[in-house]
Amino acid sequence: MTERDLYVLGAIILLTVVSFITRAGYFMLGDYLPLSNPVRRALRYAPVAALIGIIVPELLPWEPGKGVVLDAKVFACLAAIYVFYRVRNVVALIVTGMVSLWLLRYLFG
Amino acid sequence: MQTGGDVGEDSQRSSYRTRAVTPGNPPQNFSRSRNPARWQLFLAGFRDVLGPMVATVTWGFVTGIAMVKSGLSELMATIMTLTVFAGSAQLTALPLLEASAPLWLIFAAGFVVNIRFIIFGAALYPYVRHLSWQRRLGLGYLSADMVFVLFMNRYGEHPAKNPSDHIWYMLGVAIPSWLSWMIFSLLGVVASGFMPDSWSLEFAAILALLGVVIPLIKTRPMVVCMAVSGVVAWAGQPLPLRLGLLLAVIAGIIAGVMAETMRAGGKGKR
Repeated sequence: MTERDLYVLGAIILLTVVSFITRAGYFMLGDYLPLSNPVRRALRYAPVAALIGIIVPELLPWEPGKGVVLDAKVFACLAAIYVFYRVRNVVALIVTGMVSLWLLRYLFG
Repeated sequence: MQTGGDVGEDSQRSSYRTRAVTPGNPPQNFSRSRNPARWQLFLAGFRDVLGPMVATVTWGFVTGIAMVKSGLSELMATIMTLTVFAGSAQLTALPLLEASAPLWLIFAAGFVVNIRFIIFGAALYPYVRHLSWQRRLGLGYLSADMVFVLFMNRYGEHPAKNPSDHIWYMLGVAIPSWLSWMIFSLLGVVASGFMPDSWSLEFAAILALLGVVIPLIKTRPMVVCMAVSGVVAWAGQPLPLRLGLLLAVIAGIIAGVMAETMRAGGKGKR
């Protein structure tokens, strides 16, 4: 095993520890860290906030000094969301989005 | 979806009645007897996760490809898939590994990206509290995003009467998710050599996540939460270690609670 492999393996072990601490940590120590009802109510907003927080930078990326990049992805997304509201189907949303993206890139380079 | 839940609750209720008229039967015996409700709950979870599974599978496939494309050997990519089981943390670590960043930084970056799981775990904890620590450890490790999102959507407002109902539903979501993630992530590792970048497969993962989040935005406080977290996530992009994502989660929660409080206050005055 090379030094590079050991380094990568070390990172993998640490990331596995992270998975256990963050996901199972509260399950193990919950009795010592009680949560009030208002806090619990507030946590209902966490998933929407997290998913939006992952999606938005992927769709509308920007870098300091370079400005906003508005590419075909945004328009493909809007088409996909429109179709999703009409038929309520995740697969239709993905197919619409991918086909729109390929079409827009083919048409406008 | 709804029908499955109703069927499960009905048979659960009848099982309580049976337990009440047979006092000689200890509860442990009863829970070990053949009870169709637990399979119905497992299947209800499985049915609910089928749509979002498209997201899981796409993320897994994309993550598998990305690991090899960033220079990990196929062996290391396979080990990472089988042990870490956290797509966003894996994808965050890849550029750091490529740059030979110090291990503590990779640990810290993975931790920050995964902080949302601590919040999820806190919300799920009351439902798993009665289990042994080994089971809590295993269930926690399996509780990825979809488990939390679907579970809270079903039981967040109306918990079931029988605590084990929650666990069977949770397993019905978690086990198929875990399996499909593993299979497609490993397929991605194998297939990475044949996939042209021009297909933009990573975009399919974003679309799938959209399909997960849109149905959750049903109330006005949720709309406020979405708008605020979206703006914060957009503005916070240049921050290192994906701290923008953490800020977006915190801001979204605060905005949602404030909108909820203001709406409740307005109703009280009328």
